Amino acid sequence: MNGTLLGVGHHLPAVVEQAGVRRPLALEPVGPSTLAARAAAPALAQAGLTAADVDFIIFATMTPDVTFPGAGCYLQDQLGCDTVGALDLRAQCAGFIYGLVIADRFVRAGIYERVLLAGAEVHSSGLDYSARGLPVARLYGDGAGVAIVGRGDGDGIRAAAIHCDGRQHAKFWCEYPASRQHPVRMTVDDLRAGRHFPTIDVEAVRRFGEESLPAVIAEVLEAAGTKVDQVDRFIIGHVLPEVGETVGTRLGVASSRLNIPAARHGHLTAAALPVALSEEIAGGGLGEGAIVCFAASGAGFAWGAALVTL
Amino acid sequence: MRNSRILGVGRYVPPRVVTNDDLKACMDTSDEWIQQRTGIRERHYSEGSTGAADMGAEAAREALARAGKTIEDIDCIIFATLSPDVDMPASACLLQNLLGRPGIPAFDVRNQCSGFLYSLATADKFVKTGLYDHVLVVGGEVHSTGIDLTTRGREVAVIFGDGAGAVVVGPEDDPRRGILSTHLHAEGRFAEKLWLECAASRERPRFTEEMISGEAGRMFPKMEGRYVFRHAVTRFPEVIREALDAGGFSAQDIDLLIPHQANLRISQMVALGLELPDEKVFNNIQRYGNTTAGSIPIALYEALDEGRIQAGNLVCLAAFGAGFTWASALMRW
Repeated sequence: MNGTLLGVGHHLPAVVEQAGVRRPLALEPVGPSTLAARAAAPALAQAGLTAADVDFIIFATMTPDVTFPGAGCYLQDQLGCDTVGALDLRAQCAGFIYGLVIADRFVRAGIYERVLLAGAEVHSSGLDYSARGLPVARLYGDGAGVAIVGRGDGDGIRAAAIHCDGRQHAKFWCEYPASRQHPVRMTVDDLRAGRHFPTIDVEAVRRFGEESLPAVIAEVLEAAGTKVDQVDRFIIGHVLPEVGETVGTRLGVASSRLNIPAARHGHLTAAALPVALSEEIAGGGLGEGAIVCFAASGAGFAWGAALVTL
Repeated sequence: MRNSRILGVGRYVPPRVVTNDDLKACMDTSDEWIQQRTGIRERHYSEGSTGAADMGAEAAREALARAGKTIEDIDCIIFATLSPDVDMPASACLLQNLLGRPGIPAFDVRNQCSGFLYSLATADKFVKTGLYDHVLVVGGEVHSTGIDLTTRGREVAVIFGDGAGAVVVGPEDDPRRGILSTHLHAEGRFAEKLWLECAASRERPRFTEEMISGEAGRMFPKMEGRYVFRHAVTRFPEVIREALDAGGFSAQDIDLLIPHQANLRISQMVALGLELPDEKVFNNIQRYGNTTAGSIPIALYEALDEGRIQAGNLVCLAAFGAGFTWASALMRW
């Protein structure tokens, strides 16, 4: 039996202005686990479950609370989930879709019945809001989304595909701290040079997003035997909101059926897709039986898509 | 549902050997002190610009060769590490690039000492449910660039070494053979009993000069050793028994236990608790130190090479470490 989404929730910190850009930013000293705990409460409520019903946690983030252990361990403690496992996943912008695939497979294998999948980021503490870094920093927001993946009797997760092209890893990356730098991962000189801030080759990332997203959407639609017209909502996660627009145009999808979270919140990376879905459900835009196509492409380059019936 | 099985194992340790006596050049320690507490005699440190993915690629090539597969047969790469080559993206992306297999999924699992078993469990489900046929699971660490090699950091620094191991997981038709079950746990309330604080997204700003060069050494791992020891000697036997119970086995049925190589004294206590004789417990921490996500596949490789595992043997893998996280996997070889 394949996995299904039993509930979704999200949490966005207050919108604040930083260097002229308005974004949800976690200005208090919190990590993504704290934001995810706030998103988990409505997700569990929607599923009619409590934290005691969760039998596994998967946490997708590229901005963990501390270097180790992972944000999943911190979330597990905050939710009070006894000793259930907590897998920390790193797949950048595609983290939520990778996590959905893993959760779905643990459910299908009959190992777990209810997996809490969190995608959460606190980007703002690691960005450069000076003039030098603002072109990158202005693209991001902070937030968390949580989905409860469990056994269902509906269609649920009908198809999913995940991919990576590591040849392009340095076109969208954050190099430091770097364990490969001998004798020490990060020096004060590295800090002063700003080597710990992310850099983006915008044209390469744009081009790759415009190629990879329509292709992977076509892949999951074909696998599920579904046509573009049958999909109620395409939720597109990409650091550049205009890439989502281009993908919509290529698919021939009206803007009312397109949800581009980066256009509203800045890029929330692993949180972008579950936040957007949770917002749609909370606002009445999507309900039971709706067909949603998630797609994301970004650093790695990692990308993926999933077709889900709510 | 079909079963899954480890088809081949590889490992790589960098050539530079650092003995306990060598460490005396940078800290106040002794061979006797280190051996008494940990059993470790020496460890390997990488050099040049070697990252976790570079070592992982070497281990992966050997695992593929021993499995009789090529990289073209691999459908997915899972990399377990807590010392990634770069901050972002995942080391799995760099590994995929080194192995030359663009297009297949590649992701990191960041579960510290249990990372290899969390990854193996995931690969097992991917294969059992038919999502992928062959998954490459790699665990590797470059600790040497992130530990405090001064007297201040000696309690933690002497334990860790660099190295990587890899396995190819593939389908198995015989339900009695291969990976029988996996068991994953965590207890986040002990997150800061064994941890590396900075870089921390919860700090604003995430990096300061104080974090890098300050007295507190916040970019180095910290451990409350006795606390970790006490939990390890409880959770190891518990999760091993969980795996045995799931398959209807008893401790006497184990042909070889391969515990994560955290500390020889922990392994000895675990063996004692389970009443396992020395020959049924594999240890090689004496030569490598704790290579975290690399330790189990490195040990599995050596156990196979030494003929300690025969076809039909019941093999148990188990881990405990930072998180706290702990895990086990039971296999019929």
